[in-house]
Amino acid sequence: MTTAPDPSPIPNESAAARGRLQRKAGHVLYLAVVVLVYVYLLTPLVIVVLASVNAGEFLTFPPQGFSLRWYVAFFESEAFMGSLFFSLRVAFFATIISTALGVTVALYVVRFAGRWRERLRLFILLPLLLPEILTAIALLFFYYNAEALLRTLGIEVASGVFRNSVLGLLIGHVLITLPFVFLGISASLYNFDHSLEEAARSLGASRLTTFRRVTLPIIKPGIIAGALLAFIISFDLFNISLLLKGIGVATLPIQLFDYVRWEYDPTAAAVATVSIVITVIAILVTEKLVGLRSLRF
Amino acid sequence: MTELAIRGLSKRFGDVAAVDGFELEIGDHELISLLGPSGCGKTTTLRCIAGFEEPTAGHILFDDRDVVGLPPENRNIGMVFQNYALFPHMTVRQNLAFGLEMRSVPKSEMAERIARVLETVQLGDLGERYPRQLSGGQQQRIALARAMVVEPSILLLDEPLANLDAKLREEMRFFVRSLQKRIGITTVYVTHDQAEAMVISDRIVVMFDGHIHQVGAPDEIYSRPVSREVANFIGLTNFVEGRVQGADAAAGECRLETAVGTLRCAYPETLDVGREVALIVRPEAISLSAAAPAESGTNAIPGRVGERYFLGNITGYRISCADDLLLQVQDDPWASFDVGDEVWCTFDAAHAWIIPD
Amino acid sequence: MTDPARVQSTGTARTASARPSRRRWNPTHFLVFPTVGLLVAFLVFPYLNMVVMSFRNPSTSQVFAPGFTVGNYLDAILDTDLYYLEILWDTMVLGAATTAICLALGFPVAYHLARTSSRFKSVLYAFVLSPLLVGVVVRCYGWIIILGNNDGLINTTLMDLGLIDSPMTLMYNTFGVSVGLVHIFLPFMILPLLGAIQSIDPALEEAAQSLGASRLRTMLRVVFPLSLPGVQAGTVLVFVLTISSYVIPILLGGFSVMIMPTLVVQQLMDAMLWPFGAALAFILSIAGALVVYVYFRLTSRAIRGIA
Ligand SMILES: Nc1ncnc2c1ncn2[C@@H]1O[C@H](COP(=O)(O)OP(=O)(O)OP(=O)(O)O)[C@@H](O)[C@H]1O
Ligand SMILES: [Mg+2]
Repeated sequence: MTTAPDPSPIPNESAAARGRLQRKAGHVLYLAVVVLVYVYLLTPLVIVVLASVNAGEFLTFPPQGFSLRWYVAFFESEAFMGSLFFSLRVAFFATIISTALGVTVALYVVRFAGRWRERLRLFILLPLLLPEILTAIALLFFYYNAEALLRTLGIEVASGVFRNSVLGLLIGHVLITLPFVFLGISASLYNFDHSLEEAARSLGASRLTTFRRVTLPIIKPGIIAGALLAFIISFDLFNISLLLKGIGVATLPIQLFDYVRWEYDPTAAAVATVSIVITVIAILVTEKLVGLRSLRF
Repeated sequence: MTELAIRGLSKRFGDVAAVDGFELEIGDHELISLLGPSGCGKTTTLRCIAGFEEPTAGHILFDDRDVVGLPPENRNIGMVFQNYALFPHMTVRQNLAFGLEMRSVPKSEMAERIARVLETVQLGDLGERYPRQLSGGQQQRIALARAMVVEPSILLLDEPLANLDAKLREEMRFFVRSLQKRIGITTVYVTHDQAEAMVISDRIVVMFDGHIHQVGAPDEIYSRPVSREVANFIGLTNFVEGRVQGADAAAGECRLETAVGTLRCAYPETLDVGREVALIVRPEAISLSAAAPAESGTNAIPGRVGERYFLGNITGYRISCADDLLLQVQDDPWASFDVGDEVWCTFDAAHAWIIPD
Repeated sequence: MTDPARVQSTGTARTASARPSRRRWNPTHFLVFPTVGLLVAFLVFPYLNMVVMSFRNPSTSQVFAPGFTVGNYLDAILDTDLYYLEILWDTMVLGAATTAICLALGFPVAYHLARTSSRFKSVLYAFVLSPLLVGVVVRCYGWIIILGNNDGLINTTLMDLGLIDSPMTLMYNTFGVSVGLVHIFLPFMILPLLGAIQSIDPALEEAAQSLGASRLRTMLRVVFPLSLPGVQAGTVLVFVLTISSYVIPILLGGFSVMIMPTLVVQQLMDAMLWPFGAALAFILSIAGALVVYVYFRLTSRAIRGIA
């Protein structure tokens, strides 16, 4: 076997030109992929919004004219309006509870947990690591069994105190949203410069005053970001709500799910658009208050 | 004002003894530097004084009152942090007001004191800025002002100049020094920069591995170090190993037998004959000459110029002598010898010092 | 200057000071109890309870009967038609395919986002996040409008243009489900990749190019290997999410694309076979965990050189 002679280190003119062309083509291809992926990511959202203001029963191309009739249908639908407010309520309370829990536990994990820190962190993140559908199933079983168990223990509980009640659903929502709040707050606590607290103490502030005047204002963005994320997640939560929904109460995603499975009229698009708008408002509030990048997943 | 006394202070972190048996008395108005290599326990000592670390053993007395166990906020200290630790969500004025608020100083007095301290650090018009809108040097001065405005009993500074560029750092040394002298506040200053410690301090505490090696005025530390570590850490030093031939405390002189001949050295204590010791001599104490010196009173070591470098105010040489001894010499910039020249290194007995091992 | 009152309080303040200490009981521990209590009561117990449930005897009148059995697992695994194992296999294949497509599509986007200096960087970032923040049902509904088999946007448009005579089947098949899955889980791939690529020093790429590597080669030999930790995180995340997803397959695939989560929910909610449903859920979890474990073993060696 013979080895080929070393190619010249300086490529000749035409090869260089070909190389440039190849590079250019490659770059264009790369940018095209990037653009297409963005288009792919956004299309369904845009389509939903378009369909909601389209006059026709079906979205066609080109659209059949502008109309708000589907919004009227939505606002006149008791089922949809009821579940919208129900969803907002659940999301609100889930946010409050998981933020309160998240702040305290993040503070503990970052500051005081010592050698238990990593294990605790992992434990609190569990609901995020376990598939939501499994958690939903586990809670479904548990609520059923817990009631029977409490009753055999002689504790009087109303039938369906967990199952078929907002309480059970709310607990599920808190479980899922808690890790997000925790992540946001503990990240800002980890980044927090300890010497700021020491500076406050050296100037005569007590532990509590230091927390109130220095720590809290500085980690506030993390808390706000975590809370808003919790709100969005809870508002859109599906699996937990599906399996734990009580009789007659459904969150907006569940109502929408039931609707689009069997009906095709664009009332669903109006509902979906409203829920997109609510999320966008939450995002804009986040961006305004603390910047989108404080959102952590 | 306040006198600070530290008695038998020790601090362990698990197996690490960060500070061990630290003893020090700091007088009123005095500025003491803690100097030593990284990890020697300077910060730990300072944090014990501040109350951020609880000592494993020992006492810390502010004017004879033991403050161990007292939380930092009740010690009435002023502290300046290496990264300044200015509250990012407060303006300069709010930063300065923080400590005064904690002391419930009335509003009118507060404004007056803030104005005065801003004047003192020469940043009168920056009150409404946020810390991020200040340069490093300005932040540094605000940090100093924040610590001072509460009129603390003791001022603690942990490498306050370390984040500044070289030029500014030198300026700030004098600024801190004159401010401290003007206010007359008892101060502990942590640094690992020996030049900074020399310029700024009344006394320097040199630490290694959690232990104090030496406490003394800058010139004392420099010219009469007590250990090899201290001699090595502060400035350039030549070590010549030898054996005591005769030491006479009365005459204040000691003769050593070394591989490069008998050397004499000023030393106030009596040492056993035959004891192995090291003689140290600073490079600038040695002068070079082409011929052997006439007087018999000075030490003289023959050698050959190995390397030469020019530093502007001095010329440095590395002289190879007998027995692989390498002497560092700093001489006048105009006295020029070339590499390879045979020279005599001469130095006065008064400029040498002995470290008993 | 010393305020005597401050310093003199030494003696009393000493015991009262609440400094964290190994020995003493520390009141800060109370911070952790509410959360840990909640998680133990409503996460740990429920999962343990689910394990128990999977060994319960089935019942026709109730959700389960007294007594225990391993029959639920045996029924699923030893089924002669291999019905359940086939669904499990399909689930894994769907998971792997979705993951691979997400990686292929996500990498260029993550790279672009990591390196762009565009003014619109934060807008692009919001675009990447947007699917994450809009409910899964809403997103699926968008795809239903687009892909619908009879009156979907694509079919009606193409028929109006005369490009096709009869509508194509874009939904209620694996294609539709994959389009939805990739769309919904792409952000979970892009975000870890973004983090990994951002932490690669751009000078390394310049170094590679200065040594004569083309952009593509730089990408393959320098950027991709260095971003492997992000690749690993993203792929595992997308895989796990895919094999446990329920809404997307059911909305875009109906019952014609049967995968494990669909099956499990069907058994639980429609057939009310709780013990069997629980057993199926665990079979899925164990299979998924095994795949992830093997994958970790295979990829970790490649990563060790980097971290
Ligand atoms: N919180 C802590 N936990 C464990 N070890 C510590 C802690 N703080 C300090 N140490 C150890 O104690 C020793 C002294 O640390 P210290 O911070 O006092 O050094 P230093 O002299 O200030 O050093 P530098 O000049 O680098 O700031 C070091 O070995 C350090 O690793
Ligand atoms: Mg230090």
